[in-house]
Amino acid sequence: LFDNLTPTYNYLSDPFDGPDSSGDSDDDSVEDIDEQEIYDLISSISDPEHPLSLGSLAVVNLPDIHIIPPTSPHSSISTVVVEITPTITHCSLATVIGLGVRVRLEQALPPRFRVDVRVKKGTHSTDTAVNKQLGDKERVAAALENGTLMGVIRKMLATCE
Amino acid sequence: MTSPLEAPSYTIQPLATLSPPSSSRTWQSAPHPSLPLVATACSDRNVRVYSLTSFTLVHTVTGGHKRSVRTVSWKPGVKGQSVLATGSFDASAGIWRRDERGLEDDFTAQKQRGDDDEEEDDDYQFSCILDGHDSEIKSLSWSPSGQYLATCSRDKSVWIWEELEDDNFETVAVLQEHDQDVKCVAWHPEEDILASASYDETVRLYKEDADDWVQIAQLNGHDETVWWVEFEGSGMSTKDFRAQRENLSQERAQHLELLERSGPRLATCSDDRTIRIWRRKPKENRQYASQNTGIPSIIRSFNIDEDWFQEAILPQRHDRVIYSISWSRKTGLIVSAGSDGKIILYKERWESQVPNGVKADGDANAPEDAEESQRTPLTEWIVVAELFSAHGVFEVNHVCWAKRNDKGRRHEDEEIIVSTGDDGEVKVWTLDELKT
Repeated sequence: LFDNLTPTYNYLSDPFDGPDSSGDSDDDSVEDIDEQEIYDLISSISDPEHPLSLGSLAVVNLPDIHIIPPTSPHSSISTVVVEITPTITHCSLATVIGLGVRVRLEQALPPRFRVDVRVKKGTHSTDTAVNKQLGDKERVAAALENGTLMGVIRKMLATCE
Repeated sequence: MTSPLEAPSYTIQPLATLSPPSSSRTWQSAPHPSLPLVATACSDRNVRVYSLTSFTLVHTVTGGHKRSVRTVSWKPGVKGQSVLATGSFDASAGIWRRDERGLEDDFTAQKQRGDDDEEEDDDYQFSCILDGHDSEIKSLSWSPSGQYLATCSRDKSVWIWEELEDDNFETVAVLQEHDQDVKCVAWHPEEDILASASYDETVRLYKEDADDWVQIAQLNGHDETVWWVEFEGSGMSTKDFRAQRENLSQERAQHLELLERSGPRLATCSDDRTIRIWRRKPKENRQYASQNTGIPSIIRSFNIDEDWFQEAILPQRHDRVIYSISWSRKTGLIVSAGSDGKIILYKERWESQVPNGVKADGDANAPEDAEESQRTPLTEWIVVAELFSAHGVFEVNHVCWAKRNDKGRRHEDEEIIVSTGDDGEVKVWTLDELKT
């Protein structure tokens, strides 16, 4: 297969990227959501233990937000990748913050977006474990049925309205 | 990513969306072992039972669980009633029963009952609850004989329950081999062998040995969470590509013989976006011989451990996590689905390029030949159909095969694909073979 020969270049420069204009997804009313809008959606989330926003604490940063367009003209699924930077490397609340960001984006974005929230590499002592949890749909779904945890997240998101 | 299919020999066509759908995420669907029904586990704490004849909702199983129902499984081989097991994020499993003796009459007499009819006998009756897991149940499955029920959970354990008599379940094993959440359990179709797949990226196999269930194999290969595990059906060599036995080269005939001795294979899928096929290394003949001598297992001289090796990786077509695969018991086709919303169909065939290697004829050294064929597989898996956006922009959580039972059925053995999605919908698809 040729897959291995293809350089892993940035999708933004892919000349075949034009899925938004493809005819079969026009009812999607694709509203050209950009990184800035994603940033605006999540920067106002409150930190669970400081009275400050994730934006002002530089937990979320515009350069760490990436939108990956659909990988095929037959698909309308885009991926939003957000890398968060926990305030300290042992921050036990990294998972909760990540969950808050994921919940915020899943609620605010149309369902054609897949939301991948990760801890920025090297900024957290257990980033791999945290990332795996945040990427596990089943664990996230179960966490959202947990009343205590949802209470914390609701409080974090209360400043977003 | 969009290179043409190697052999697009089927199209996947929509047949029906089961109605009415759930308004929230549906996780998994299980076709009834004998009746034209499918049960769907829903995040709204209910199980919906749909007819595969009319594609409409016939029952809602409610009130048993406090959180999402994640998994459902019908007990096989039950006469006169349907027995359904449900597993939930509330850490419990429920057993439900419905008398089916009047079902034939109901259908022929067209006895219509409203959905909200309070007729007690008509509903699934809560029968008992299986408590023991510490956290969310992720999957449960009845063994083919119906003797055992396996459950697995985020608490890293796999439990095996045995039904001693109606509504009296005993825990026969608590297996704690995995280091992380156990995502899926599945039974071997012929032997009492259980497989489990986990967040710890491994698959484990278990078997009863002298009254104790023990791990007999650990399968390493995936490098992300393994989401689903399923055995191949029984006797597939007479149903899939292997059924055509004329003019086989000696090499191929030998391979078939090896496959036969291995027994049903295992398929797994993962967050690493691969689907892998695993095969048991056939044991030496004399071990089988000693197995048949009736020597009590306690003094059996040979090891119960089994050697399972990775036989193949299917062509990679998914862009994101693959949540589910299903191996057809009729045709040997494999179907997969996942986060990218695609449904992909795979078929096994003889490898088109026959290796040039010359094999010794009639070599007495059979085991070495076995090694040889493991290194150079004689068969290959190809993608034969690809469907985008099966549930619109939503993720597909589960996919499985079921017997077709609506009036459009084209032949007795026709199968449908049932897909279950984040949009709350359960969809039914047919396969149309392309004439080339």
